[in-house]
Amino acid sequence: MPTLNYESINTNTDVTTTRTLLHESIPLTGAIVSGTYGQETSEENIKNYTHGMFQSVYDYPYLSSSANHIFDITMGYHSSSPFSSSASEQNAKKINLYTEFAQVLLGYTGSDNIVEIFESDLDFGDNNNQMKSCYFVNFSRLLTKDQVKKGSFSMTIGTGSWLGPFDLQAVAANGSTSGSAIVITDASSSEVGGTNTKGNGGEYAVLYRRYGTEAAGYTYSGIGAANENGVGVIFYQAGIVVLTSSIWDRMGPPIKAIGQGTFYRRHEGHLKQSISGAFTGSSISGACDALRHRIANISFNNTTEINSTIYFCRAAHNKFNYSSNPTYISGSKIRVKNVSSDSPISYITTIGLYNASNELLAVAKLSEPIKKDPTTELTLRVRLDY
Amino acid sequence: MSFKKFEPNDIILNTMRTHPQSEFFIFDSVIYYNSEKHISGAFTSSVKNVPSGFISLYEYNIDKLSGSNNFIYPWIYKDSARASLRASVSTGGGTEAVTGKFGDKLIGSYPLSSSIMREYMVTAGERRTDTQTGSSPTDVIGSWLSAPTYPHYFALKNALDFYGARSKHYKITGSAVGTSYDWIKDQQTINLISIPEIFYGSEIKPGSVSLKWYFTGSLIGELQDTKRNGELIQINTSSNPALPDNSGSVAGVVMYQEGFVLLTGSWALNTEEIGIIKGDTSGYNPKWIYFGAGAQDNVLQPLTVPASFNSASFELSFKGTTETQVMTMFAHAKKGEINYSNNPTFLEFGQDELKLTSSLVYEENSDRVIKNTVSSSHTDYSGSFKRQVYVSRVGIYDDNKNLIGIATLANPVRKQEDQDLTFKIRLDI
Repeated sequence: MPTLNYESINTNTDVTTTRTLLHESIPLTGAIVSGTYGQETSEENIKNYTHGMFQSVYDYPYLSSSANHIFDITMGYHSSSPFSSSASEQNAKKINLYTEFAQVLLGYTGSDNIVEIFESDLDFGDNNNQMKSCYFVNFSRLLTKDQVKKGSFSMTIGTGSWLGPFDLQAVAANGSTSGSAIVITDASSSEVGGTNTKGNGGEYAVLYRRYGTEAAGYTYSGIGAANENGVGVIFYQAGIVVLTSSIWDRMGPPIKAIGQGTFYRRHEGHLKQSISGAFTGSSISGACDALRHRIANISFNNTTEINSTIYFCRAAHNKFNYSSNPTYISGSKIRVKNVSSDSPISYITTIGLYNASNELLAVAKLSEPIKKDPTTELTLRVRLDY
Repeated sequence: MSFKKFEPNDIILNTMRTHPQSEFFIFDSVIYYNSEKHISGAFTSSVKNVPSGFISLYEYNIDKLSGSNNFIYPWIYKDSARASLRASVSTGGGTEAVTGKFGDKLIGSYPLSSSIMREYMVTAGERRTDTQTGSSPTDVIGSWLSAPTYPHYFALKNALDFYGARSKHYKITGSAVGTSYDWIKDQQTINLISIPEIFYGSEIKPGSVSLKWYFTGSLIGELQDTKRNGELIQINTSSNPALPDNSGSVAGVVMYQEGFVLLTGSWALNTEEIGIIKGDTSGYNPKWIYFGAGAQDNVLQPLTVPASFNSASFELSFKGTTETQVMTMFAHAKKGEINYSNNPTFLEFGQDELKLTSSLVYEENSDRVIKNTVSSSHTDYSGSFKRQVYVSRVGIYDDNKNLIGIATLANPVRKQEDQDLTFKIRLDI
């Protein structure tokens, strides 16, 4: 065992902490969400439950052990929404789901146990721009990790007819106003602003529709080009996207779904439904099928916080110049000294971190030994990640 | 909701040791891990995007194809914390972390993969000879031994000698016999099989290692570490009576903590000849030094005679060791405690919450009635009232009453007022 020279670490000057943010780029291709693994109603990577409250999307047929859960989709509306009616399919469940999301993500209004209503702006208390009927997309923790990186979310959805939801040219032009494929992003938010932090569900930002091209510069808008309110919100820590159903019936041209009445073509009986028809007349899973059919792309970056402690281990000029390693001495002489007047030399290979009772807790290895003699002072920077 | 404090005897810390089994089967230059079958996807021929026999870290680039269904990849911004990704795919590779500007993206790639690897080392201790030449290449002024040909073997030499206390077979140099030695590993042909740590955890479990040599599907040799001291001992006798009986002979050693198998056994396991050495067209008898041929060592089925490499197949199996810290907590719900719920349905429906409220008074209704949930054996007749609750969850709080964990029961448990219940909660850390 080499020399054990304990050198105390001064917690004021020798220790500091840092935080590194590890990001991952998560592209989700729309074909995975709908079409790749089977036809509608028999897609092997879509799990529907007997409770019928939401639908799970996997990146591969979910019976395979390789499959990962990527997100859940559900929808719902507030009891004061025009869709709410005892005649609506799964009416109570749709209201319950909306209320549950509102309760968990926003909280209550006040003393009457009434939940807040989602709004497509940053102030959910002012009752402007309310979104009373919404789709909810809950991304898996496997993908969002600690949180979605602010300003990185983008989703391309089709607003065209059921048979042609995406205008091909518009997809190529990436958000051009001429097509029925629209890009929804949270570009207005950033790590330093553009978010609301008052809700129960952590920080959220508004999702806007993106117009224009990268070359000409993008502009952003909500429902109708003149409005500043958005088309939905994204909760970064919770990893939940809320989209208003108005995307499909109240936005300006070239939205086609409403005109042709074909937001959703239900499998049984080839029933054609508009967005309001799907929200009222279809089950939750049917309405989720309709949204999946219209997802061309989703991409975002996630964030993982890696906390580190850095220890500056200082080797003064007159310390750590000797080793008790058996190979340090050859024939009772220090191997690296030739003349008795030479200074002692050692080669540092390892740093041990000890606790107050001198028990070894961690070992740091150098990539190559460093020469140490009385003419040098070293500060070795040891980083401990956890 | 009431808080209850854990007493000193209510929290137990233990270590759970597990021994996950790993099995590698090597046939025709392909490795198969734990008999995992091949799964093809819609975009790629192998959904995990790693070769057969490899494991994929995180396993979340499933069925991906660049351009059609893009890969998930990691990145960080270069900053003063000097963090970097070990495997960088940016231009400049690993040096990106050094040469890049602050604020640059350092990009990595997934999937990161891992599998076993075989290294066949003829004269394991061989070192390159470097020469200094004069005015012409033939004018050699001096020569000296330089870098080792097989640095992996050199890196293990100290550790091998260290384990010599466990078994002499680890030693680099065997016992002296007259003027010679039993063996000198430096001069031997060594078959080194490296097992990455991710497959075994903290160490390979002594006594669990088994190596099987199959020839055209028949077992011709098996090694096991029956003494649990790292010696790999042949446990079968040769089926060919013409060959000497090598059962009980030590064909190599296993380094449990480091995850290496070193095989030196060079006796024939049968008299057949197969082409099993890379770049060599001759045939050789099956021997332990050829075990695992085809495991990432570029040994392929030769096109010319003897083209029978795929008569050989190999199985390497062992158990790993992992240690998990387990916290067991006993949450007691004693008689007369935990018998009330704040759940709105705990009270009878439709009762007034407030008795009186005005600008001067705010008085709650003190006569509210608890809903009777006692079941009766008779239909249409409710049982006599007893206080009872159904416990569905146990919350764990820290010293500052922050909720740090929730244990949810599979089914709610009925707790009557005169019952003592204890919930045993286990937390793997």
